[in-house]
Amino acid sequence: MEGAQENPAESSSSVLRSEEPASGPEGLPPEESEGCARPLEEATPKKLCGYLSKFGGKGPIRGWKSRWFFYDEKKRRLYYSRTAQDANPLDSIDLSSAVFDCKADAEEGTFEIKTPSRIITLKAATKQAMLYWLQQLQMKRWELHNSPPAPPAAPDATLAGNGPALRLELEQEEAELEEFLCPVQTPPGLVGVAAALQPVPAMPSALQNISLKHLGTEIQNTMYNIRGNRQAHGTGHGPPEDESPPSGEPQRAEQPLPSDPSTPDAVDSPKPAPKSSLTANLIQKAKRQHNTFPLFAEGLTRNRTAQEKALALEQQVLMLTKELESQKELVRILHKALEAAQQEKRASSAYLAGEDKDRLELVRHQVRQIAELGRRLEALERERENLAQTASLQEQQVRELQQHVQLLMDKNQAKQQVICELSEQVTRNFMHPPPQASVPPGAGDRDFLSQQEKMEHLKDDIEAYRTQNGFLNSEIHQVTKIWRRVAEKERALLTKCAYLQAKNCQVESKYLAGLRRLQEVMGGEASQCSELLRQLTQEALQWEAREASAEVPELSPISEYDEYGFLTVPNYEVEDLKLLAKIQALEVHSHHLLAHEAVERPLRERWAALGELTPSVELKQLLRAGVPREHRPRVWKWLVHLRIQHLWSPGRYQELLSQGQVHEHPAARQIELDLNRTFPNNKHFTCPSSSFPDKLRRVLLAFSWQNPAIGYCQGLNRLAAIALLVLEEEECAFWCLVAIVETIMPAGYYSKTLTSSQADQRVLRDLLSEKLPRLMAHLAQHRVDLSFVTFNWFLVVFADSLISNILLRVWDAFLYEGTKVVFRYALAIFKYNEDEILRLHDSLEIYQYLRFFTKTICNSQKLMNIAFNDMNPFPMKQLRQLRTAHRERLEAELRELELLKAEYLEARNSKAPAVPEGCASEDEGEGEA
Amino acid sequence: MMAIRELKVCLLGDTGVGKSSIVCRFVQDHFDHNISPTIGASFMTKTVPCGNELHKFLIWDTAGQERFHSLAPMYYRGSAAAVIVYDITKQDSFHTLKKWVKELKEHGPENIVMAIAGNKCDLSDIREVPLKDAKEYAESIGAVVVETSAKNAINIEELFQGISRQIPPLDPHENGNNGAIKLGKQATQASRRCC
Ligand SMILES: Nc1nc2c(ncn2[C@@H]2O[C@H](COP(=O)(O)OP(=O)(O)OP(=O)(O)O)[C@@H](O)[C@H]2O)c(=O)[nH]1
Ligand SMILES: [Mg+2]
Repeated sequence: MEGAQENPAESSSSVLRSEEPASGPEGLPPEESEGCARPLEEATPKKLCGYLSKFGGKGPIRGWKSRWFFYDEKKRRLYYSRTAQDANPLDSIDLSSAVFDCKADAEEGTFEIKTPSRIITLKAATKQAMLYWLQQLQMKRWELHNSPPAPPAAPDATLAGNGPALRLELEQEEAELEEFLCPVQTPPGLVGVAAALQPVPAMPSALQNISLKHLGTEIQNTMYNIRGNRQAHGTGHGPPEDESPPSGEPQRAEQPLPSDPSTPDAVDSPKPAPKSSLTANLIQKAKRQHNTFPLFAEGLTRNRTAQEKALALEQQVLMLTKELESQKELVRILHKALEAAQQEKRASSAYLAGEDKDRLELVRHQVRQIAELGRRLEALERERENLAQTASLQEQQVRELQQHVQLLMDKNQAKQQVICELSEQVTRNFMHPPPQASVPPGAGDRDFLSQQEKMEHLKDDIEAYRTQNGFLNSEIHQVTKIWRRVAEKERALLTKCAYLQAKNCQVESKYLAGLRRLQEVMGGEASQCSELLRQLTQEALQWEAREASAEVPELSPISEYDEYGFLTVPNYEVEDLKLLAKIQALEVHSHHLLAHEAVERPLRERWAALGELTPSVELKQLLRAGVPREHRPRVWKWLVHLRIQHLWSPGRYQELLSQGQVHEHPAARQIELDLNRTFPNNKHFTCPSSSFPDKLRRVLLAFSWQNPAIGYCQGLNRLAAIALLVLEEEECAFWCLVAIVETIMPAGYYSKTLTSSQADQRVLRDLLSEKLPRLMAHLAQHRVDLSFVTFNWFLVVFADSLISNILLRVWDAFLYEGTKVVFRYALAIFKYNEDEILRLHDSLEIYQYLRFFTKTICNSQKLMNIAFNDMNPFPMKQLRQLRTAHRERLEAELRELELLKAEYLEARNSKAPAVPEGCASEDEGEGEA
Repeated sequence: MMAIRELKVCLLGDTGVGKSSIVCRFVQDHFDHNISPTIGASFMTKTVPCGNELHKFLIWDTAGQERFHSLAPMYYRGSAAAVIVYDITKQDSFHTLKKWVKELKEHGPENIVMAIAGNKCDLSDIREVPLKDAKEYAESIGAVVVETSAKNAINIEELFQGISRQIPPLDPHENGNNGAIKLGKQATQASRRCC
């Protein structure tokens, strides 16, 4: 309204004039087009009009269509037509109840006008244009609501008076609008009347632009345009007329025709254009060009250089060519439109020309067609409704889904937040655990922290342990060195100590011997002296006890039993024997101490190094030196096996035992009697819980069956007992006994007559005479017969005579070498004590001495050396010969004795009282011999 | 001055009857339950006053098992006395005793004093040889007989005192041919320590 008022204010007569006729024919386009044309020179934006794309159509033709929109101030409606030049608008929109909308997500420039009846979707060329349109439309609607339609005169009058005031008002209005949206500048060339001069915005095809909905109006418009064209051509009005009636129509019609020749012209003569009244289109064109290409015109007026001009002209030519093409296109469209119109015309003329019947028919036909179209329309409408419904449904669904999505997103976000918080916490915990430690942490944190702390502790511990380990290693090394040195020292001291102890023992024993001698010499004589002597002896006998209990924490005390269970100090009740026993024990001990380091150790090493046992000279030497206790059972088994291979058979021993269970051997009783009388000085045989007597019984019984000729001979119990003590297994002991009796000893050694044993006594006597002539002479002088002691030696192989460690050494060699060893040792024993015996000049003394003298032998090394060195040469041949000789002689003697016995008995029987004393004396003589 | 008269005495008898035990008791006044069987012989001395004399017993203990009999002559040869021991709990041992007596009569020294000792009299409850039998037998051979116990020291010294009494007093004119100094016959010593 204001815009309308402004118009007359600025443009004087023409505006009013043109508006009045326009309002007269009730919204006719010519008036409007006049109004459109006129403001070209004055105020373009005053009138709200312009091209917009309108979305519409159905099916395949659905799409954007270019429409000329203009607001009619009088009717207060927004009209639109296909082009600005169309006489009849296609439709109008009531803005009073319209709502405007612009969608941000839609294509640029798109906006909507929603009325209760319809929704029109429009699109402006630019965003600015859109905003301009929206603002303007809002303003128009606002006007519609605020002011009733005023009579055109009244506002004119008021406006005439205070035009500037109104302008202010408008500006205020616009300022208010600014609150939401800054007033949009009028987009140049796109809106307003000037826009009507522009070509219809590029459309793929003109046909598409044709409104099918308002087909009637379209046709009318086309017709009007054609008519307008004709008028323009035909009449050739002056400029005012020119401008107003033809409006856009003639322009279009004419444009294709003169465009080609006129364009260059127009370029040449923009100024003469007004002057020349040749054609309205030319003028229009000139004007339009002036409008469209202002730069170009400017360039011309400023006399640019020729080159520039040429360039400009070339550009212009190109543009014009393009324009020409579009115009040609337009012409083609128009041709088509013309054709359609002609067809219509033909139809109508047929209708006019035809009979009533025909006409009726035609009408009917038309009616039918209309009805059909109506039906189709209805169907389409229904379809549309359905679609709308489904659309709304889907929209609802979409909304629901969106809501759901929103919900999920919310949830997700919440979760993410939680995750973020947790991860943040975790990183915080990892990064700064110590400060967190002070804060009361969660259970997990506490766990973690305590673990970490523990780990730290453990690391510290490891370090500490490593240091400790290193230190301890060095410590161990040091201590080991020290220990080794100390051990060496200790060993040296021990050796020294042993030596001293041995010395002490010897001194003591000598002292005791002296005492004993004194005792003997004194006899029952002097009372004071004997009293003193008894006292001293008593004291000497008590030394041992004191020694053992009080003094040295004894290094190697004289233990009660030796390693094979024999009593070390014989249990004599008689005082003088006690003294002797003491002397002997001391001697033995001293020798043991001295020998231990020097002799036994290297022997032990040699035995340890010895692998498999094979008969050899080296083994013989080793056996003579004695087998260390730990090796003895193995060696003896081997030695025994070597001897009894031909006698041995598996299960033989058990066989013999079972034999003994069936029949009682005549020797069984004697064996039984002797079981408890075997080695009463050995704990293994005296201990009531010991298994040795039982073993011994079985061994002896088995042997009595093994060798019935011998059965049981006293002495075999000692042999078996020694074998048992060493070998422990009774079967081994049995075979050892077998080996001695049946393979080592000469036949008949243990027989009922003991011939071989007795023969050996004579052999020994011969050998003694040979080896120890001095001793034998001495003994002969004192009529001392040695056999009472040596018989035992041979029969039990020194088992009753020698102390166990020497005895077993003798046996080591004896089992390997045989009876020769017994002879050697028998000789050696006498040799060992030769001087002692030679000192004795009383037979009783000698006898007394011989009773125990074997037990005084302590130096096994010395004895062994005598036996195997001093007694050499000791040819076996000699021994064999002597044995044979003596055996034969003995047998002869025995036969003779038997004979004599028989004779004697005969003689006694014949002369009863006579006692042949000579026999007895002979007998005696033989016995002594 | 008291003269020492050496008297060779041998002990004979079956194995295990307690010969060695008797000697041990007599010489050392000691008894060992388990004493090794004698192999060969054992020699001990003991001097006992007998009247005006000192009798030094040179005691030869022999092995009892039969197969050692052949060694025995060596010990009873030249003996002034022989102690023949039997075990009162074993009839066999008494039988063996008889054999020994026989052998001594046959081969033993002339006038050898024989003393019969019925040992282990502490075990009289299981006796097999009645004292009467022994006494009768001893009387028949003119031997001293006494039941002894080496274990309980019964009649051990009496046994040897009995021998001492039987030994004829030393004839100042004659010398014993068996190494013992024969003192003059004195009856006094016998009754002194009689039980
Ligand atoms: N109860 C008891 N047992 C005795 C007695 N005398 C000896 N014995 C035991 O009889 C067994 C044999 O004793 P020995 O003295 O060895 O006998 P032995 O006559 O010497 O035997 P051989 O030397 O083999 O001739 C031993 O176990 C003694 O303990 C005794 O008076 N009473
Ligand atoms: Mg004996």
